[in-house]
Amino acid sequence: MLKVEHLSVGYDDLQVVWDVSFEVPAGALVAIIGSNGAGKTTTLRAVMNLLPLMGGAITFKDEPIVGTPTHQIVERGLVMIPESRATFASLSVADNLHLGAYTKWARAEKKSAMEGVYEIFPRLAERRTQLAGTLSGGERQMLAIGKALMARPEMLVLDEPSLGLAPMIVEDTFDEIRRIRERGVSVLMVEQHVEMTLELVDYAYVLELGQIVTEGSSRDLMTDSRVREAYLSF
Amino acid sequence: MTQLVLQSAVSGLLVGGMYGLVALGLALAFGVLKVLNVAHGELVMLGGYAAFLIFTERGIDPLLSMPLVFVVLAFIGVVLYQLLFRFVVRFDIEKRIKNSLLISFGLVLILQAIAVLLFTGDDRSIVTGYSSAAWVVGMVRIPWVRLSGLVVAVIAAVALEWLLTRTTFGHAVRGTAEDWSLASLAGVDVRRVYMIAFAISAGLAGLAGSMVSLGYSVNPTIGLGWTLKALVVIVLAGLGSMRGIVLAGMLLGLIEGLASVWVGGPYRGVVALVVFLVVLSFRPQGLFGRGGAYV
Repeated sequence: MLKVEHLSVGYDDLQVVWDVSFEVPAGALVAIIGSNGAGKTTTLRAVMNLLPLMGGAITFKDEPIVGTPTHQIVERGLVMIPESRATFASLSVADNLHLGAYTKWARAEKKSAMEGVYEIFPRLAERRTQLAGTLSGGERQMLAIGKALMARPEMLVLDEPSLGLAPMIVEDTFDEIRRIRERGVSVLMVEQHVEMTLELVDYAYVLELGQIVTEGSSRDLMTDSRVREAYLSF
Repeated sequence: MTQLVLQSAVSGLLVGGMYGLVALGLALAFGVLKVLNVAHGELVMLGGYAAFLIFTERGIDPLLSMPLVFVVLAFIGVVLYQLLFRFVVRFDIEKRIKNSLLISFGLVLILQAIAVLLFTGDDRSIVTGYSSAAWVVGMVRIPWVRLSGLVVAVIAAVALEWLLTRTTFGHAVRGTAEDWSLASLAGVDVRRVYMIAFAISAGLAGLAGSMVSLGYSVNPTIGLGWTLKALVVIVLAGLGSMRGIVLAGMLLGLIEGLASVWVGGPYRGVVALVVFLVVLSFRPQGLFGRGGAYV
């Protein structure tokens, strides 16, 4: 579904990501794991064309998307939830969801999509007139996911969904990601919580200092001695 | 004395509505594009000339020609965006403000020079059959042409708030104002939002210009004065409420009106700025500012 080949990205003269290749097959749940500063967010921003590429190729549904404006990538069904503050603080919960369904493709089904989101997250329905900036961290996370679902994604990209959340809410979030995948949406996520992530995903890439150092199914990676030493506590 | 005070207060409120009307468009461009267009007053000036020409050449009343003036100025706004501000919005926010100040100050000089060439430096104003008509309430005279400026300001603010809060496009504008990259991830064509917001901003300047040429007067150098008043109004009101901007404009006008009686005409601007500083030291977010909101 998403294929990234030999991606190089950076900021001005500073290259951050070097020759990174990965693939997310249709219906799969794939993670890029690595510590802070490894270039995970930079990679995702490049995929969404929020950052210009220094080199490489990206295809989504077998069509190249390098240089495609971000809003058109979203329109094609590739939707990203950026890290932490992924909601519009100055808009109400309902308006955030409205804006989530902004593309022509999503607007057609806006009403039923919104009912669906309120069904998954009843808390959001209770707070629909409240400004997103006044929500708790967990509620904002629900809203961020709900907003992304409003766009009717074929593939969802999540940038560190666990960042800054209490452990219980992280578990809820991961359960929700699992359910989203069960509905047929392909998922790519970036995470630092390696152990929990490997339990969730099918396949993972390990990114270190801007380069993929190893990859494999999550079962293989959990038994990989290098991964265990660097990221896992057992 | 009472009569003088009341009359000055009312006149102040009426001119204050105009401050608010000029400030609406400036606040929209700043809130959404993070572009500080100090040539906004020159767009008001051009709108004034547009209404004046439509009246003298075609005999169309400025109150009726307002939609046309709005469209003309919105078109000029699109041209200016495509020629200049399109390149400014590629920068990060701080650089946008600095660069837009430089660019729009250049625009001030250019538009003034063009206006002198086209229209000469003479004062122009539209004289209609109702130009001297007024309501007399008690001891106070309310000229129709000036009242219409306030009415247009209120209608424009309410319409703009409706657009921003009740329409899908409005959600996109507010989202873009808060975080353009998050808006583009929601599928919003941010460049298009920028262009339309700037066009509406210029169109609003056109409406203000129509009202200036009807109730006040137009010459090539009026722009900067209106821009400065509008800047004070925006800071006084705070971003996030269009109605608040018109109210803050009326407040500024009222203070100026009263100060001209109690302190003396030449000092009214000074008194208004002192009040402005006092208000801001107690409410730095402005009188009507909503935290986190930009339009």
